[in-house]
Amino acid sequence: MAEEIDFDAILKKYHSDPYDYVDICATQTGRVSFKITEGSNVNSPSGEWLHIPGSPLFEITRERNPKIVTAKTNGTISSVRTELEGQFVEAGEKLLTIRHPLKKKEVIENILKEVLYLFPAPERAKYFFSLDIQSRIEKKGARAITIKPGEEIFTMSLMKRDTPIYYTGEAGVIHSIYFTPGLSVDQGQPLIGICASDKLPLIQKVITRVKADWDKLIESAALEE
Amino acid sequence: MAAINQPTPASLQEYLWNHEKASRNQNPLLLPPEKILRILRYGAIVGSVIQCHSSMDRTMDQARQYITDLENSGGSVASGTAILADTLIRPKGRFTRTWHAPVGGLWGCLILADTFLSKARTLLPLTLGISCCEAVRGLGVDDASVRWVNDVMVDGRKLAGFLVESFHSPHYGEGFHLLGFGININNSCFPAALTNSAVSLSQILGRPVNLHNFTLSFLAKMAWNIGLLCYEEEQELHQAYFSEEQKNHLLLEQWKNLSDTLGRRVLYGYDIQQKPLYEAIVTGIRADGAIVMRLKDGNEIIEHGGELQYL
Repeated sequence: MAEEIDFDAILKKYHSDPYDYVDICATQTGRVSFKITEGSNVNSPSGEWLHIPGSPLFEITRERNPKIVTAKTNGTISSVRTELEGQFVEAGEKLLTIRHPLKKKEVIENILKEVLYLFPAPERAKYFFSLDIQSRIEKKGARAITIKPGEEIFTMSLMKRDTPIYYTGEAGVIHSIYFTPGLSVDQGQPLIGICASDKLPLIQKVITRVKADWDKLIESAALEE
Repeated sequence: MAAINQPTPASLQEYLWNHEKASRNQNPLLLPPEKILRILRYGAIVGSVIQCHSSMDRTMDQARQYITDLENSGGSVASGTAILADTLIRPKGRFTRTWHAPVGGLWGCLILADTFLSKARTLLPLTLGISCCEAVRGLGVDDASVRWVNDVMVDGRKLAGFLVESFHSPHYGEGFHLLGFGININNSCFPAALTNSAVSLSQILGRPVNLHNFTLSFLAKMAWNIGLLCYEEEQELHQAYFSEEQKNHLLLEQWKNLSDTLGRRVLYGYDIQQKPLYEAIVTGIRADGAIVMRLKDGNEIIEHGGELQYL
């Protein structure tokens, strides 16, 4: 993590372009048929359990088995590789990009994700803190908990198979928790963000500064418009 | 004190190659004899070592300690080792639930080295419910069924419960799956809180059950179903790619044959007793074992873990 953070540069970057650009790739090999065009607005999953799928993006067909891929984030389609319409693509081929408008909270999270060590979910499963970590969090709060490499930190639960997950990363305190116990987390998504305890004041400074300056920047941008 | 229930690897092998093989030759899956032989060979590691104890705290803890002690002395555990106990002193269910494990039941843990690929690993917990249900139906209890994931139920009451825990040995870092099983056989007294929700095999049949024979039957069926998992993994690896929709996984087919979950109205929750989440109707099971449910608003939801209560 950088010792010094250039707040002005970071804020300026988000101010000039307050969007995330989410590339959507083919989930498997198959023939592609797009369901959107450039400029289309798309919605993210909704409902109490996020069970209502987002907007359909494309259909991919392999072995006469069509699958609809839906948006996981809301925004506007900023680019589509229309030359691939009806073509056979490999898994992982980039197909389109969603421009997602960032909220203040997301800007803070994005900045934090650049400065924290993110521990990812090894598999799509449900995650829980280990009993020891959970009881320490309940007593003292997550940011008072220091974890070290090799420490059992989570129980990963999949189909009534519980697997202990051991922390691999630099030692530090749990700054951010990105999962809800009992809800499924996709493979690769961050579960927690860790920072060295001596960096906590710096992290807090980032949050305070973004909170204070973001609204001003948005207001001034509105005035300029 | 010597254990009451003392099956041996030799008696299990005898049962596997005589009784189990014969019953699978008349199986509803209609597999040719050479495939049946192949599946049984894959599963024959089950019960390669059988430890029998009169009592212990928990078989899962015993398994972890056994693996650790063996490695510390320069050895390693035989995959398929079964640890059995006549009674458990401090049995534990999922979360903070207690489990009642007096003399008369079948309490144990099967140790399997983690040689499975991701998909087979995900389906591993199904083998326990399927094997138990097959063994119970083999005694004439035709209405025994599996409730997703692997609870075995008879007439709305729970006959058996299972839990799989993964473990990495501290010395070599080898991965193991510990398949814990608790089956009510001849134990007929339950704590007040469980009287209406639990049942034993002897209560259902109205007579005592030969625990030794049931143990052999259950372990032999575990051998078959774990063999099936390995066999399906081999089939998938032999193909250039695997298309889930083109082929039905034999273990899942058997789960569907034995389960009464599909089509049921259920209450779902990760911890159904403490925190039920929502009502839904079960509409299917996916190739990865995940359950598909339709919510009241008509939308589908897919869950890879959690518990169901029938409504």
